[in-house]
Amino acid sequence: MRRRAREALTGYAFLLPALALFAVLGVYTIVYGLLLSFARWNGFTAHWSWVGIGNYLDLLYRDAAQAPQVRSAAINTAVIMVGIPLLTVVAGLPLALALNRITRLRTALRTIFFLPYVTAGVAVFYAWSYVLQPEGSVNWLLQTLGLGTLAQPQGFLGNPTTALPTLIVVQAWSAIPVAMLLYLAGLQAIDPEVLDAARVDGASGVRTVTAVIWPLLRPITAAVIMLNLRDALQGFQLFLVVTNGGPGGHTNVLGLQTYNLAFFSDLRPTLGLSSALGWMLFVVALVLAGINVRVLRSRT
Amino acid sequence: MSTRAKALGAIAATIGLLLGGTACGDSTSGSATALEMWTFKQTHVKPLQDAAAEFKKQTGITVNITAYTPDDTYKSKIQTSAQTRNLPDVLEVHAAGEDFVLGGSGILADLAPNVDAAWKAGFVKGTADAALVTDARYQRSLQPKSAEAGIKTGQYFSVPFTIGTFGVVYANKKKLADAGLDPAKPPKTWADFVAWLKAVHDKDPADGGLTVGMKSPTTGFNWGLEPLSFAYLGAQGYRDLFGKDPAKSFGSPAGLAVLELYDQLTPYWKPGTQTLGIDDADRAFAQGKAGFDLGGTFTLASLRQNGMNPADVVTFGIPAASGGATSDLKLAPIALTGLAVSAQAKNPEAALKWLQFLSTPERAGAFAQASLDLPGTELGADAERLLGPELAAVRNVFGDATAGAYDPTDTTVFSPAYDDKSPGETLIRMSPLHELTPEQENQALGGIVATSWK
Repeated sequence: MRRRAREALTGYAFLLPALALFAVLGVYTIVYGLLLSFARWNGFTAHWSWVGIGNYLDLLYRDAAQAPQVRSAAINTAVIMVGIPLLTVVAGLPLALALNRITRLRTALRTIFFLPYVTAGVAVFYAWSYVLQPEGSVNWLLQTLGLGTLAQPQGFLGNPTTALPTLIVVQAWSAIPVAMLLYLAGLQAIDPEVLDAARVDGASGVRTVTAVIWPLLRPITAAVIMLNLRDALQGFQLFLVVTNGGPGGHTNVLGLQTYNLAFFSDLRPTLGLSSALGWMLFVVALVLAGINVRVLRSRT
Repeated sequence: MSTRAKALGAIAATIGLLLGGTACGDSTSGSATALEMWTFKQTHVKPLQDAAAEFKKQTGITVNITAYTPDDTYKSKIQTSAQTRNLPDVLEVHAAGEDFVLGGSGILADLAPNVDAAWKAGFVKGTADAALVTDARYQRSLQPKSAEAGIKTGQYFSVPFTIGTFGVVYANKKKLADAGLDPAKPPKTWADFVAWLKAVHDKDPADGGLTVGMKSPTTGFNWGLEPLSFAYLGAQGYRDLFGKDPAKSFGSPAGLAVLELYDQLTPYWKPGTQTLGIDDADRAFAQGKAGFDLGGTFTLASLRQNGMNPADVVTFGIPAASGGATSDLKLAPIALTGLAVSAQAKNPEAALKWLQFLSTPERAGAFAQASLDLPGTELGADAERLLGPELAAVRNVFGDATAGAYDPTDTTVFSPAYDDKSPGETLIRMSPLHELTPEQENQALGGIVATSWK
């Protein structure tokens, strides 16, 4: 009996470091963040002013200065939540199909296609902002190829109509490699006999992809969409570095709005608003995850 | 190893891990003659270290300088350090704003009992009391969403360290000459300025435009439209522009008049200037990719840092428009950064000595030479020698706020809830984006101002 108690004690003692870390870094910060969403605070004063659900109401409709900005950012976020996953799937699947078909240079090409993922980050985002400027290489390339009418005199990020679509392309560019790898893994897991059967039945290549491969890869598509939805909903680094929400607020997104409320509001007491917006994003992400789980369950 | 020993080891490791996290935060404690100072400007580190070496020779007190950049990192560092009582002894802060927020939060010491009239007399006129809490400021701090809650009338949170102003235009001498303009005769009126822009732009459409870092959306509004409006409408008209009366604020004919003037810049912006950060815009101008750069007195340092010879630049303030309230707009020098003592300073007396040392003309001059920032200390007749001709010339835009010069730090003009980001973004939609006409812009700004008073 004493031996069992000792063993249990040892077990708990080994668990303690992880529990302590989780308590400090997980539970504490989550509870702290949640409480902060009900307070007004600038991060400096010793005391918070409790405002109840005031921050949530301000963001949704009550504050005539904040609510329109949040609405505009929400629309932009909705656009990128459609655009980025769509573009990632549309580009990632054909790339994976092509890579799966070839045998020579597959590893080399896979590495090349994966480069955007491993190099993506602040430095690459800066590089994109230079490339997309009026005198940048994208405009130069278009003019060199005789497509000068497509060039943007104000740069692709300076024109309000092209700024957001351009950022969607850049974000998708860094997301496609992972999608491609996931699809490639899925393709290699498909039983060759299924594809042989389709061929014997006279299915064309396109028909095989649409009627056989695509349905079998649906769980992977769901995962790719989910990953990119999450990034589109919460990510803001690209938008911060490349446009800072500009020009004229045309590329402001909810993640960036959250960040700016926390750190760039001229030290106004908006940390609570930032936290409340973060929690609203969390709820949306939770709903999306729930939908994803249901879709996966119903299809598999 | 026995089971008990393993259990004890695991518990000890846990305690060690937890304690380790807190113990490492106490690295600043030590000698009573050692001070810690933080700044948010990397370019200030070396000049401050040089000053610290001299200070140690004279007093035996060591000052360790650390920079945390960019601004948001610096603010987060102060926020977290204040919570864990790990603040340094001395902080360089944004003057006339950040110092009040930190002071009201109890992070900065009140220097009112220490900074006497004799000390204040050594600062550039009009800047000495930038960090003094006036009664008007105190009253505004009582508003529910004020960032400066906690301040009290009479408190004084920082001494001026670097000064300057916004609304300064830099023009490339060579491009001016190429366009047939005389760099020795800067524009006297807004119309002259627009004519200069047109001449240089017509000569060099790709690289002859005007730039400003609009990725920070408030630059065009704060550095261009505000001084222009002040000059055209006069001090009271300018105040009314942001006031409660819709007949005089944005949305009124007065607002439309100044927006129509500002809109005259629209054809002459450097392509893509709306995507550039402030440093990017300075770099573009320094590299000859723009004919004009709108900034502040601090821009000259940035241009030199980017390889431009200050002698190749003509500097002038935003000129007043003809027919307005003022024909010669002067810009009041303001404290840009200040030196503050932390409320948690372990040796406040030594910290004050360090502040006094940095405020002496000799030390301020040496700092200005090394950093290319105008010092808060009045250098008197030695200014040109200590600053160099170009930096000294930038001071020609200065005027006395009490004699009608534009003072950008006068926040009593705005509602306590006024946030300049929205107006800045909206202005960009008119110029350079051309999405809104001046009439539409006027209505949009009128709505923003009215909302700020609700």
